[in-house]
Amino acid sequence: MIESQRHSYHLVDPSPWPISGSLGALATTVGGVMYMHSFQGGATLLSLGLIFILYTMFVWWRDVLRESTFEGHHTKVVQLGPRYGFILFIVSEVMFFFALFRASSHSSLAPTVEIGGIWPPKGIAVLDPWEIPFLNTLIPLSSGAAVTWAHHAILAGKEKRAVYALVATVSLALVFTGFQGMEYYQAPFTISDSIYGSTFFLATGFHGFHVIIGTIFSIICGIRQYLGHLTKEHHVGFEAAAWYWHFVDVVRLFLFVSIYWWGGI
Amino acid sequence: MRRRVVSSQQLQYVQRLHKWGAAFRSLNSSPSPSTTPSFQQTTTLFSHSEFLSKNKRVEDLMPIATGHEREELEAELQGRDILEMDYPVGPFGTKEAPAVVKSVYDKRIVGCPGAEGEDEHDVVWFWLEKGKPHECPVCSQYFKLDVVGLGGPPDGHGDDH
Repeated sequence: MIESQRHSYHLVDPSPWPISGSLGALATTVGGVMYMHSFQGGATLLSLGLIFILYTMFVWWRDVLRESTFEGHHTKVVQLGPRYGFILFIVSEVMFFFALFRASSHSSLAPTVEIGGIWPPKGIAVLDPWEIPFLNTLIPLSSGAAVTWAHHAILAGKEKRAVYALVATVSLALVFTGFQGMEYYQAPFTISDSIYGSTFFLATGFHGFHVIIGTIFSIICGIRQYLGHLTKEHHVGFEAAAWYWHFVDVVRLFLFVSIYWWGGI
Repeated sequence: MRRRVVSSQQLQYVQRLHKWGAAFRSLNSSPSPSTTPSFQQTTTLFSHSEFLSKNKRVEDLMPIATGHEREELEAELQGRDILEMDYPVGPFGTKEAPAVVKSVYDKRIVGCPGAEGEDEHDVVWFWLEKGKPHECPVCSQYFKLDVVGLGGPPDGHGDDH
């Protein structure tokens, strides 16, 4: 029991963010459908919904940060909740990406007559996996090493060095995104060029989106490290960012091996 | 929040952390005398065992800790178990030596599992109130409430009494 209360749990205060996030999600889905069917005002509703969701994310996480770092509600028992929650979230992400990989392998393992009975489909010029794609596999791996460096720095109490390590992590992530953008720009096929283009851009696009999320997560960790929020004993937010970053890394390895390399020969 | 300036105090703090780290590792039968560990597990769910050294303050360990997190750390450093009263255990209570159950408020729900072994029975739940010792109707174990907290009604409405 904690002396000033009866237990070591965190009973949260009432918050408007669950309902505001829900309304944002409703506006986003309805607006999204309206936009895709060329309804008047669809784009406006979609944009409003997305802004609402982004705003909710910002203020909700701001509140969590205030409750944990500035009010001290995250005791050891409370810290277990976000840990297990984040692990389950990553497990669900693994399942999501499994579906994307399966979409690709379903079409490539038994190519139909419509695409010439071969993979890559007839007429599709693919990217050489040993040029930018290979480099862009090594870059996130190095970024993963840098985030481990940051973790060791935090555990050793070297606050400044942890910031440097996170700057390295984020820099490599930005280089990756830059190369990926270049690759998309120069690709000889588009998302509408056969099932190859569809599965390629769906899988690599969602991976790129996750890289951007992980980059923002790492930037937030870097800022919090700079401000002194993350300590040797308590840095759950950083741990979640590191787990997420390693997950994104592993997805890239599978993308390279199965879609760029195996799928490109 | 402004950036914290690195002071000599902080330097000492970092050095101390290093010392403890080394002590903890050697306790864990690490044969290597080197100062840097070859590998530190990244997913340490409970990493607090290494600061159970004497005469340390929360300020030395986690200067920014506040609120309940700080109370928890402080109790741990002082070797107190603040969750101890959550799980009342002890020898079978008799009229002469009742089983004492600690409570923050004037009454608390208690369960009697009977004595050990053959004399165990299904848990019987009851309200144990301040100044009103309770005798278990099944095994006649005797309970007494010891108010250690603020007292008053536990529901927080004040309409109980």
